[in-house]
Amino acid sequence: MALYLLFEAASGYSLFLAHGIDEIGQNTEAVRTSVVDLNRFGKVVKIVAFSPFQSALDALNQCNAVSEGLMTEELRHFLELNLPKVKEGKKPKFSLGVQEPKIGSHIFEETKIPCQSNEFVLELIRGVRFHFDRFIKDLKPSDLDKAQLGLAHSYSRAKVKFNVNRVDNMVI
Amino acid sequence: GRGGMKGGSKVMVEPHRHQGVFIAKGKEDALVTKNMVPGEAVYGEKRVSVQNEDGTKIEYRVWNPFRSKLAAAILGGVDNVWIVPGARVLYLGAASGTTVSHVSDIVGPTGVVYAVEFSHRSGRDLVNMAKKRTNIIPIIEDARHPAKYRMLVGMVDVIFSDVAQPDQARILALNASYFLKNGGHFVISIKANCIDSTVPAEAVFAQEVKKLQQDQFKPSEQVTLEPFERDHACVVGGYRVPKKQKAAA
Repeated sequence: MALYLLFEAASGYSLFLAHGIDEIGQNTEAVRTSVVDLNRFGKVVKIVAFSPFQSALDALNQCNAVSEGLMTEELRHFLELNLPKVKEGKKPKFSLGVQEPKIGSHIFEETKIPCQSNEFVLELIRGVRFHFDRFIKDLKPSDLDKAQLGLAHSYSRAKVKFNVNRVDNMVI
Repeated sequence: GRGGMKGGSKVMVEPHRHQGVFIAKGKEDALVTKNMVPGEAVYGEKRVSVQNEDGTKIEYRVWNPFRSKLAAAILGGVDNVWIVPGARVLYLGAASGTTVSHVSDIVGPTGVVYAVEFSHRSGRDLVNMAKKRTNIIPIIEDARHPAKYRMLVGMVDVIFSDVAQPDQARILALNASYFLKNGGHFVISIKANCIDSTVPAEAVFAQEVKKLQQDQFKPSEQVTLEPFERDHACVVGGYRVPKKQKAAA
């Protein structure tokens, strides 16, 4: 069964396909070693699609939703466009690996795309994060840093602003 | 006259054993870092300007070990903090960013500091400070839930953790599983009272080290932060340390 991976970065959404999972086995210890080496990892995990965010505001909306475990309309569109169709009454022949179970259950509720989030999926997504700038040809490493910087500032500024009266829990 | 470190040409600055850290030799020696934003102090700390032979000036900021556990660990003789020029650092428990600003000086323009702080009160100072230091990525979020900020952080070389929570070993392990490279390093500051105030500090440190070992960490050294902090230790080590390669047959 095909395993896709959803990776949410500051610059956009991307979808990967993990092939030949049986060969490297479900043993996470074995996965751990093959994840580090791009030659090996690049053979089992391939990029399927990348959709950059349209604007800083769009990126902030996506980031807020992802942080809360929610699928936006844009993410739904991205997934439905790039994943195989899910037919009613038939069991899908693929699943989507996500990094956090809450967004997985929201995706499943809305689209019937079967999602999973386990140790094995997390290990593969760790590998995607490690090699990310080499998967996307037009992206320089410094571009991702810039996207993270801009997004983190707007995300954090909003947090601080909207919760001025929040009482901090001080632990002494 | 002018007091303290502002001695102009009287002050000599020498590199410290730790890359990116310096010692200002004046009336009293002081730990300093090279100011990324010359002309500005972050929290009222003193600055030292040194003139080069060619007339150019370099400004350093004094780093107070009573206000920074990382500085205390360096003065305490820790062997390696792994935070060096060009490093990518995830800093958990950034507070208002006083130590973060020195880490930003150390890693310099080619490094990155992802600074996570949950308290909105200190977070506001952190975000403001980060405006002027573009190698700091401020994240106002709970370090217990790295999934919430997974879009903002890339893989890092080092995690520095100063969250002072009873479950801090777990918080470090969770963040490492998302963001710390295999063979990367961690530096954790442990305040014994925050974890268990009923047993001696040494027992708490030993218990925390054991927890770390269960989560693929390999602690390699431990220093106490005396005389700067009481019942505090700083533990440093590796993460998912690769097994030694077998010699080729």
